Amino acid sequence: MSTAIEREILWTGIGGQGVQLAAKVLALAATREGREVMSLGTYGGTMRGGNTDATVVVADGPIQSAPMVSRAWAAIVVHPRFFEPVAPKLRAGGIVVVDEDLLEGTLPACAGARLPLAATRIAREAEAPKAAALVLLGAFAQATGLVGLDALEAGLEESLPSYRRQTLESNRRALQAGAAAVPGVSHPAWRKEAA
Amino acid sequence: MTASTERRLMEGSEAIAEAAIAAGCRFFSGYPMTPFTELLEHFARRLPDEGGACINAESELEAIGQAWGAAATGARAATGSTGQGLSLMQESMSEITRAEIPIVVFNMARGQGDYYQATRGGGHGDYRHIVLAPESVGEAVRITQEAFHLADRWRHPVLIYGDYLIAHTAEAVSIEPIDFATKDPLPPKDWAVDGRLGGTGRSRNVNPIGMEKGSKGIDPNRFWQALSDKEDRIAAAEQRWEAIGTEDAELLIVAFGTLARFARAAIRDLRAEGLRVGLFRPISLWPFPSEALVRAAAGCRRVACLEQNAGQMIDDVRLALLGSVPVVPIGGISTDPAGFGIGALLDAERIAGRARDAYHGREVPRGVVA
Repeated sequence: MSTAIEREILWTGIGGQGVQLAAKVLALAATREGREVMSLGTYGGTMRGGNTDATVVVADGPIQSAPMVSRAWAAIVVHPRFFEPVAPKLRAGGIVVVDEDLLEGTLPACAGARLPLAATRIAREAEAPKAAALVLLGAFAQATGLVGLDALEAGLEESLPSYRRQTLESNRRALQAGAAAVPGVSHPAWRKEAA
Repeated sequence: MTASTERRLMEGSEAIAEAAIAAGCRFFSGYPMTPFTELLEHFARRLPDEGGACINAESELEAIGQAWGAAATGARAATGSTGQGLSLMQESMSEITRAEIPIVVFNMARGQGDYYQATRGGGHGDYRHIVLAPESVGEAVRITQEAFHLADRWRHPVLIYGDYLIAHTAEAVSIEPIDFATKDPLPPKDWAVDGRLGGTGRSRNVNPIGMEKGSKGIDPNRFWQALSDKEDRIAAAEQRWEAIGTEDAELLIVAFGTLARFARAAIRDLRAEGLRVGLFRPISLWPFPSEALVRAAAGCRRVACLEQNAGQMIDDVRLALLGSVPVVPIGGISTDPAGFGIGALLDAERIAGRARDAYHGREVPRGVVA
C-alpha cells in the first residue's frame, strides 16, 4: 500500500466567517508547494448563519482518501456551533485549532491536541476583524509546517477576485498575526506518526 | 509550460470544461441545474476565447438540439445536465445515436440513480451509447478527452457519468492535451452536413432511419441492423475497468464513479484488519466490462455490489456472473435533504462496516442508508 503521508483537515464554522475562503487559501498554498491536494466545501442554501464546512486533504503522494473523509488528522474550528459531528472523526496524534473567543461553554471532547487561540481578538488587533479564519490558518500552518507562510500569502492573493483586492493587505496581516501567535512547529505534518 | 498545462487547483467542473476544450470541443449548450451549472458557467466563460460558442439554452430540449446541430456539421460539440434534465433529452439522444452523430453528453448526476437511464438507451428505439464514469477530477480530465475521441472514432454519442462530488471537488491537476488520434487514426468526417455540397444535388443527409438519400425506401431494417452490429463492435472494443486486490480477494466490491473512491478508502482499512477484500470498478458502464468482472470474481466467496440507488448496476453484475458467485447489494438509496446525492453512504467507514458484514456472511441492512 501507499507510503504517502496524507493529512486531512476539517474546517467548520458559520456561513460568512470566511471558512470557504480560508480552506481555499490552504488548498492553493499546498498546490503551490507541489503537494497533492483535494478540497471540498459543504454548505447549505443559507449563505450566512448556517453551517459551513470544508475538507482539505494534502499529501506527499497520490491521495487515497475520498472527497469526504471518515477520519481526519486536524480540525480548524472557526466557530464551535457545528463541531459536534466533526469531533468523532479526529484521530489521535493530530491537532485541533480553535478560536477560543467564540467558545460557548466547552468544546466537545475529541482526539488530538488542542491549540486554542484568541483568533477574534488577534484579528481585531491586526485591523482585520473579519479575518479570524485566516488567523487560525496562519497559526495552524506555523504549528504544523503543513505549508509555508509564503505559499499561504501567494495562495491568498490567488484566491481573491479583482473586486476583492482591497482586502488583500488586511487578510495578509491576519495570516501573519496568526503565525506569530504560536511559537513554532509543535505538530509536524510531514513526519510519520508512530503506529 | 503553457498556462493550460500548468498544474493548478481546479474544481471538477472547471477541469472538465478545460479538458473538453483541450480535446477540441468548440460548442457547448446547456440549461442550468445543480450540480451541472458550474460546468455550463466554465464553458460560457472560456469557449468564446477559444473561438467557440456556448449557449445558455432556454431548456434542456433546446440545449441538446443545438449541440446536435453543431455536431452534425462536424464540430466537436457537447451538452449536459443532471439526470433530471437528461430525461428531457432522451428523444434527442435516441435520434442522435441512430443518426450516428458524435456528441459528448455530461450527466453531472444527483447520485447514482441514473444508471439505467445512462446504460439502457433512455429513449425510443434500438440503441445504446458509450457511458464512462470517472471516480476523480484527475480521471475526469483524461476521460473527457477520450470521450471526444471515442465519439468521433465510432460516430456515436458518449455520456460521461459524473456527480456532485466530481463537479465540486477541487484537485490539483494539469490539463495535458492527450493525443489519441496518432495511435488510433480517426475516420474523415465525410458525412458532416456542413453545407459544402449544397446546391450540387449531392448534399449529405444524417438521419436516424437511414442515410441513403434518394434511394427508394430508406430500408431501416438494414440500417438499424448495421447500427446494432456497430454497437456490438463497440461493446467488444471499448470496455474499461480497474481491478485492485483481486488476486487473493474473498470479497469483491463492485462500485463505480465517486463511490468507488470511498470503497477504495474502505478497502484500505479492511485490508489493514487482514480481510481480503478487492475492488472492481467499471469505468465504462456501457459497454459493461463483464468478462473482466468474471475474471476478477473468480475465487471470491461473494461479490458485494455497492451503488447509491435501490439496485440498478447489480443487474449487470448478475448478468455477467450468471450465478457463478453470490452477489449481495451493500449500497442503497442515500441522499441529502436537497436530493443532490450527498448521502450517508458516502462514508468510507460506513462502507467498510457493510462490506465487513458481507465478508462474514452477515445480513447487510437493506433500505435507505441514512
